[in-house]
Amino acid sequence: MPEPIIKLENVWKIYQFDKVELAVLKGVTLDINQGAFIVILGPSGSGKSTLLNMLGCLDLPSKGKVFLDGQDISRMSEDALAQARGQKIGFVFQQFNLLQNLNALENVMLPMIFQGRPEAERKKRAQSLLASLGLQDRVLHRPSELSGGEQQRIAIARALANNPEIIVADEPTGNLDSMTGQKIMEILIDLHKNERKTIVVVTHDPIIADYSNQVVHIKDGQII
Amino acid sequence: MLQEYFKIAVKNLRTRQLRSWLTILGIVIGVFLIMSLLSLSQGLKNTVLQQLKAVGTDIVMIMPGSVSDIMTTLIGSVKLSEEDLNIIRKTPGVKIVIPSVYKGEIVKYQNESKTVILNGLDIRNALDVYIDDMGMKINTGGWAVPGKREVMVGSLVPTEIFPGMKINTLINIKGKQFEIVGILKSMGSKQDDSMLGMDLEIYRSVTGERQGAPQAVAKIAAGYSVEQVAKSIKANLENQAKRRAGRQGENSYSVFTSEAMSGIVGGIMGIIQVVVFAFGSIAVAVGGIGIMNTMYTSVRERTREIGILKAVGAKNSTIVLIFLIESGIIGLIGGLGGMIPGLGLAKLIQAFGQVHPIFYIEASVTPGIIIFGLLFSFGVGCLSGFFPARSAAKLKPVEALRRYE
Ligand SMILES: Nc1ncnc2c1ncn2[C@@H]1O[C@H](COP(=O)(O)OP(=O)(O)OP(=O)(O)O)[C@@H](O)[C@H]1O
Ligand SMILES: [Mg+2]
Repeated sequence: MPEPIIKLENVWKIYQFDKVELAVLKGVTLDINQGAFIVILGPSGSGKSTLLNMLGCLDLPSKGKVFLDGQDISRMSEDALAQARGQKIGFVFQQFNLLQNLNALENVMLPMIFQGRPEAERKKRAQSLLASLGLQDRVLHRPSELSGGEQQRIAIARALANNPEIIVADEPTGNLDSMTGQKIMEILIDLHKNERKTIVVVTHDPIIADYSNQVVHIKDGQII
Repeated sequence: MLQEYFKIAVKNLRTRQLRSWLTILGIVIGVFLIMSLLSLSQGLKNTVLQQLKAVGTDIVMIMPGSVSDIMTTLIGSVKLSEEDLNIIRKTPGVKIVIPSVYKGEIVKYQNESKTVILNGLDIRNALDVYIDDMGMKINTGGWAVPGKREVMVGSLVPTEIFPGMKINTLINIKGKQFEIVGILKSMGSKQDDSMLGMDLEIYRSVTGERQGAPQAVAKIAAGYSVEQVAKSIKANLENQAKRRAGRQGENSYSVFTSEAMSGIVGGIMGIIQVVVFAFGSIAVAVGGIGIMNTMYTSVRERTREIGILKAVGAKNSTIVLIFLIESGIIGLIGGLGGMIPGLGLAKLIQAFGQVHPIFYIEASVTPGIIIFGLLFSFGVGCLSGFFPARSAAKLKPVEALRRYE
């Protein structure tokens, strides 16, 4: 069996408030294998986002280890980790998190700038990604001029910009109506089926949970 | 990639245009101050040093008062007496002593009246010193005949002060008619070129300044050490002053070789420039604090954006760079915006001085000053942006993403 893309080993996340300690993740062990479609389910406040940020290498554990492609991320420099994250992981957030003063095309090109890709290549790839998501007419629009669904599709295009191995999505449909949300989920499923992307998604959507081949239930910071 | 970061920085500045411009204004004011004052003081220094350089090396200048009161001496509140002048004349090695006498008077030519500096010249005894050591040369006409009411005018008099002035015409000074007999060649400084020269005796009778001089110039005879003679002049003057101490308060004299004078003047001008620069820097520092404030506000507002940049692969150094470029641009534009009116004002003051020759001051606008100004303001921008930029880079991606504006 090949090595998992991301591997959590007895991961704890503990927040410290003066004298009180709050453990949000309590010894989570999880492998994300190539080609998986993982859905994380659990009640509000159970630690889903915290876990996802850990998988996305946006956060470092208080205890335990996170491996990205076999490398312990706590041993990497901040810059090396940023570089690896930009290259290997694509993020889709509930709040879209697009840069408001950049247009759609510029938002999608951004991750490629940080990987040092030449301008012509950036532009070509960003345009084709936007077109493949049906946004060819919205290329020069700013996020504020677009609907929620369109913004989320731009965010997906941005997540795909550097052709990452894995897409991490935290409630990507949380701010969308069910029809639009459905479309976004179809895009993710399509990426899994046809592009063979590894996908980890936090959602309450039962349809997607059905599609998934691996559901992770989490409660009080523990996988159950 | 620098080009891309530059584009991002410019977009960020444009998103907050009003604030960016206000911050820039803060720098503009400081740089405006520094540039105008620096240019004028540098110009003043150049003019004065240039004037001194025209003087021959075997020339010694004598002024009453010690070096520390050089300002009172320059203003002319104390004078060398006729007795002092005689002592200088008697010092071995002194070839000739020329009192420097000048006074602003209202002069009428045809129907125009203007204030012009009159200069009394000892034509009878020292014409060759004026010609050889002080660079006074006749362009048209000739020298005034000693004892006659004749004047020579500086090269700018017939062009700028009394345009169209002709030789062999009459000019009225304090109710007396003088004939214009010569026009001098330019001596290289506005002040010298704007004066009106006449024989010393005539000068004394016209102005009523019959005795002494605010300063004197001595030419040293060949074969003597200029340095040595300067020392004996000083010693003789001070010994004599001691002998009659009590009668008059002043008992100190300054005697400079032209070289020493250049050094002293250069030093004083240097101090003026340092002071000017210090005050200007305070203004720029205030502008820099403005930049810092704006950048910190910007980091706070853009926390989430910084989180996004990091999530999609921006290194810490990239974040620092983007913020530094932003503050550097603010500094640079502020520098440019302050420099243009600053140097403009300096040039304006120079132009004003040309109309009123007594105020003559040159504005020095050199590539050096321009480059210095731009680098300085860019540097202030970067420096002020450094701490905000670093605090932006230090943000942890999760925490940054969690925060809402
Ligand atoms: N920076 C922080 N400081 C303190 N506590 C935090 C911090 N981040 C998260 N928490 C706490 O950790 C717990 C889990 O948060 P998390 O966002 O992971 O929950 P979640 O499962 O994603 O919930 P939801 O479904 O509402 O998004 C919450 O109780 C939250 O208050
Ligand atoms: Mg959450």
